[in-house]
Amino acid sequence: MIVVENLTKSYGSKKAVDNLSFSVTPGRVTGFLGPNGSGKSTTMRCMLGLDKPDAGIATFDGRQYTEIDSPLTHVGSLLDAGDAHKGRTARNHLRWIAMTNGISASRVDAVLQMVGMQDAARTRVGKFSLGMRQRLGLAVALLGDPKVVILDEPANGLDPEGIRWTRDVMRHLANEGRSVLVSSHQLVELSLVADDLVVIGQGKLISSGPIGNFMTQHAKTWVRVVSPQFDALADLVRAQGGTVERTPDGGDFHAISAITVGNIAAANNIVLHELSPQTGSLEEAFLDATDASVEYRGQSTTTNVWDAPQP
Amino acid sequence: MIGILKSELFKLRTTRATLIVATFSVVLPAIIFSLTSMFAFSNGEIGDSLVSMVGNFVPLTGLLLGVVGVLCSTQEYSQGTIRITLVATPNRLKVFVAKLLTTMLVSVLSVLLMLLLCLVPSQLILTSRNITFEVIGSDLRVLLSAIILSAFLAILGLSLGLIFKSSPGAISALLLWPTILEGMVFGLLSLAFKDSNLFKFAPIQGNGFKLVSTFFNSDENSWLTSLTYFSAFVGVFVVVGAVLFSRRDA
Repeated sequence: MIVVENLTKSYGSKKAVDNLSFSVTPGRVTGFLGPNGSGKSTTMRCMLGLDKPDAGIATFDGRQYTEIDSPLTHVGSLLDAGDAHKGRTARNHLRWIAMTNGISASRVDAVLQMVGMQDAARTRVGKFSLGMRQRLGLAVALLGDPKVVILDEPANGLDPEGIRWTRDVMRHLANEGRSVLVSSHQLVELSLVADDLVVIGQGKLISSGPIGNFMTQHAKTWVRVVSPQFDALADLVRAQGGTVERTPDGGDFHAISAITVGNIAAANNIVLHELSPQTGSLEEAFLDATDASVEYRGQSTTTNVWDAPQP
Repeated sequence: MIGILKSELFKLRTTRATLIVATFSVVLPAIIFSLTSMFAFSNGEIGDSLVSMVGNFVPLTGLLLGVVGVLCSTQEYSQGTIRITLVATPNRLKVFVAKLLTTMLVSVLSVLLMLLLCLVPSQLILTSRNITFEVIGSDLRVLLSAIILSAFLAILGLSLGLIFKSSPGAISALLLWPTILEGMVFGLLSLAFKDSNLFKFAPIQGNGFKLVSTFFNSDENSWLTSLTYFSAFVGVFVVVGAVLFSRRDA
């Protein structure tokens, strides 16, 4: 189990992580979300002892990372797929890492096979695509058969098959009872695998807990209705405090539950062809939750910024 | 600790740039010395010992091994492997000591090989042509100094690498200081203080390189003083490198 308590880290006058606390439970995949520059990578580096926090602590089963003997056999991590010497072969890259923690050469070959790189074992890392480097990074994380796995953007640069494979690996690791903490910008992918979410913005915790709670709290919900008597139903819904948004097929009712809409329709003999509660995506919920803490925001494309001014 | 040492050695021998520079540090002096033996001495005798002549090549080998030391540390930063190194071994002092010992071991083995490749072929060439050479009392000291100088320059390079974290900066400092800047600085100091004897305080040229000399003038530092002075100079960089390596965020 990972426990992060009151972690704080500043670079000069800028607070990258601000009094952050959360926990990661064994047997569950925990998604770590936040906009660019929100402090996700800094948090992970502090957890692994690469950066020294100004305050706070991160523990793995009660011990700080720097106190663990042969840490790779307890905590596996992938921080950056580019962290490999371009002139070394994949196998040699894993071998020098394995030697530091007394991990056997046979385990090196085993993880290369696990990540589907046995045929590229003797190829130099410099010749690898980003996707292959991600796989090699995952091999590093799995090298010590750890109880805790920390992955920073593991699906970056992977093709659809690779993304699905990464998702399956994370699910499999969690099913084996391991704690999995994964940061990702691919929210659709994360929504398919994460059990819990830790959402941060400008270094501060925004939300932490099961993904369902987060969606309930931040995702928009509405009722989709298709009916030949839609206008009549819309008037009745407005009278109950709901709002109406017309669509080509019918309409969406906001601020009112599907049960209430159903009851209104039944009481007034209104025929319904569709009545379905709708929930926004994790992406929409994430954008809603982090809207106030986005540090770097692109200009809206409704005013086309790419059009060069006419002379 | 053994695992970390093995890992550092493995890293060194699986890096092409390091291997090339280390090979150069051995082969280059050996080739030059063998060619000198082949063509420079036509007959008669050489009024010097072979070892003392080989000693003149040791600064070159030492500086190249210093570059190996630089690469041993800076490549970790340029390739991003420093993060994996420190995640695998969070005790940074252990990593530093392992790098130090590895660099020293490689430099000692390289300089021994260089001495062997210089002395054995040259001796065979000269003996076959009936050219005689002296074996003098200071030979053993020169051989010992060659090992010490190379090892110290290698760990100086390693420390500069940890301080600068970039190959160009560290290699420039390692090569420019003894070859150009030290002469300029101590030349200017001699002018300023009107004392021509200040060069004996030059840490690398005046003391480090001096270690492999066969004779010491009375106005120069003795071998032991030079060794102490040079060790202290290198020691300062080793300590600064170790402190920065331990405290800096990776």
